[in-house]
Amino acid sequence: MIEVRELTKRYGRVTAVDGLSFTVRPGRVTGFLGPNGAGKSTTMRAIMGLDLPTSGEALVNGRRYQAIERPLHEVGALLDASAVHGGRTAFDHLDWLARSNGIGRARVLEVLDRVGLGSAARRRVGGYSLGMRQRLGVAAAILGDPAVLLFDEPVNGLDPEGIRWIRELMRALAAEGRTVLVSSHLMSEMALTADHVLVVGRGRLIAETSMADLSAQFKRDVLVRSPRPTALAAALTTAGAAVAQMADELVVAGLDVAEIGDLAFAHGVPVHELTPRSASLEEAFLQLTGETVDYRAEGANR
Amino acid sequence: MNTAISAEWRKLCTVRSTRYILGSPLVALAAGSLVAVLMTADWDGSTATERATFPGADPAVLAVPFTQFCLAALGALVITSEYATGMIRTSLAAVPGRRRLLAAKAAVVASVAFVTGQTVAVAAFVLGGLITGDRPAPIAAWDSVPEGLAAAFGNGLSITVIGLIGLGFGAVLRSTAGAFVAVGAVLFVLPTVALMVFPSWGEDIASLLPAGLAPQLAGTADDPVLPPALALAVMLGYAVLALVTAASALTRRDA
Ligand SMILES: Nc1ncnc2c1ncn2[C@@H]1O[C@H](COP(=O)(O)OP(=O)(O)OP(=O)(O)O)[C@@H](O)[C@H]1O
Ligand SMILES: [Mg+2]
Repeated sequence: MIEVRELTKRYGRVTAVDGLSFTVRPGRVTGFLGPNGAGKSTTMRAIMGLDLPTSGEALVNGRRYQAIERPLHEVGALLDASAVHGGRTAFDHLDWLARSNGIGRARVLEVLDRVGLGSAARRRVGGYSLGMRQRLGVAAAILGDPAVLLFDEPVNGLDPEGIRWIRELMRALAAEGRTVLVSSHLMSEMALTADHVLVVGRGRLIAETSMADLSAQFKRDVLVRSPRPTALAAALTTAGAAVAQMADELVVAGLDVAEIGDLAFAHGVPVHELTPRSASLEEAFLQLTGETVDYRAEGANR
Repeated sequence: MNTAISAEWRKLCTVRSTRYILGSPLVALAAGSLVAVLMTADWDGSTATERATFPGADPAVLAVPFTQFCLAALGALVITSEYATGMIRTSLAAVPGRRRLLAAKAAVVASVAFVTGQTVAVAAFVLGGLITGDRPAPIAAWDSVPEGLAAAFGNGLSITVIGLIGLGFGAVLRSTAGAFVAVGAVLFVLPTVALMVFPSWGEDIASLLPAGLAPQLAGTADDPVLPPALALAVMLGYAVLALVTAASALTRRDA
C-alpha cells in the first residue's frame, strides 16, 4: 500500500507536485496518468525517499521509505532503466544490489531467468538493447520479491513484444496481491494494463476512478447531418438529448442512432448522415487534462 | 552495515576503472625507481663535493604524489560515476540511509587506499634501499630502517586520507571532472600558490595541507611546523571534514 498525503514538491520556482493525495491499494494495477511534466516521476521519487518533499509525505506500508531497514524486500522500483553502469554485467549489477539487502545469489539467477536475461547475464550492460535494459530494470525491481512495485513509464521505447511482456508481468504481479503503480502518458496503454487510474496534471490530482468508469464516462455521441438542423435539434432536445450544433451538423449525446433516426422520421426531418462516434480514450484524456496542458504551454512562453 | 559495505565492495570490484587506477601506481613506482637508479649511477661517478649536494634517491618522491592522486580519483569516482549514470538512485533505493551509504563507500575507499598506500610507500622504501645499497646519506634517503618505515607509514596514511577527501569532493560536486580538478587543486596547486603568494611562510602553509603533513606525522620532517601527534590529528581532521561535508550534502539535497 502506498499513501501520498498532501505532497508538494517545488524545485526553485517550479511546483512539480502540488498538494497531491492518493492511496494505491494492493491487488490491482493502478495507472498513474498525466501529460509530460505532470509530476509523475517526481511523485515516484518522493515515494522512494529520493527527493525530499517540500511539504506533505509519502508512505509505503505506513512508513517513510527511509525508515525501512532492507527496502528491496518491501518495495521494488523501475524508475529509469538506463541508470546502470554500462561496464558491469547484468549479473554483477544485480549481485551488488542483492548483497546490499542480504539477498542470495540463487535469487539473482532466478530473476535473471524470469526476465529472460539468463543467457545474457554475463555480458556488459553497455552492449544491451533498450529492451534488455528494461528487462534488467524489471529484474532489479522484483529482486527482493517486494509487495509494492513502482514502474515509471516502463513501456517507453519497447517493441510490441516487450510491451506485451511488461503488461502481462504487471497484471500477474497485481494478481498475486501486490500493489502495482505504473505511470504513463498514454491512456491507451493504461486501458490495457490498469484496473484503476489516477489522472494528474500540473502536479494535482484531476481524477481517480476505475478504468471501466473512465471509459464509460467518455462514451459515445452521434454525428447527425441534416438540411434542417435547427428543427431536428429542437426535437432532440425535447426528447432529452444534449445537442451541439455547428452549421448543418449536430453532435448528439444521450440518444442512440436508432432513437435519433426514429425521432427525425416522426418529425419529418430528412437526415443525410447518422454516425455513432465513441470518443477515444486519448480524447477523454485530453479533455481531462486539456486545461492543465494549455496552461503549461502558455506558461512556458512567458 | 555489513551488507552495504559488501555491496560497495562488489561495485568497486566489477568496474574496469578500479583496475586501471590501482594498477597505475605500479607505473609510478617503476618510474620513481628508474630515476633513483639514474641518480645513484650519477652519484657513483661524482666527486665528494658534488656528492654532498645530492638529494636522496627515493622512489617515493614520484610514486607517492601520483598514488595520492590515483586514490583521490578512486574515492571521487565511487560516487561521481553513480551520479553520471543515475545509478545513485538505485543505490539509495537499496540503502536509503544517506549516511549509511556514505559510510559504506568510505569504508571501502579507506581500506583500499590504506592497503594500496602502505604497499606503495613500503615498496618505494624497499626499492630505494635496494638501489642505493650501502651508500651513505645524502644519496641514501633514510638513515635507518625505522625512520624509513615511519616515513612510509606517514605517506601511506596520507594516501588513505586523500582517498576520503576525493570521496568528499565527489559527493559534494557530483561531477567526476569537477572532483578531479578540486583534488588536483588541493594536492598540487594550493601548495605552489601558497609559496607564490606568501614567500616567507608559504612553506609552512603547504606543510599543513593534506599532502604536506606526512613527513611531520612520521617525525622525519627537517623543519616541522607540527609535532607528529598534532600532524596526525590534522590529517584525521581533514578526513572527518571531508566526510561530514559529504554527509551534509547527501542528506540535504535530492538524489
Ligand atoms: N530535479 C528537478 N529540478 C528542477 N525541476 C524539476 C526536477 N524534476 C522535475 N522537475 C520539473 O517538475 C515538473 C514535473 O516533472 P516530472 O518529471 O515529475 O513530470 P512527469 O509527469 O514525470 O513527466 P514525463 O511524462 O515527461 O516523464 C516538470 O516541470 C519538471 O521540469
Ligand atoms: Mg516522468
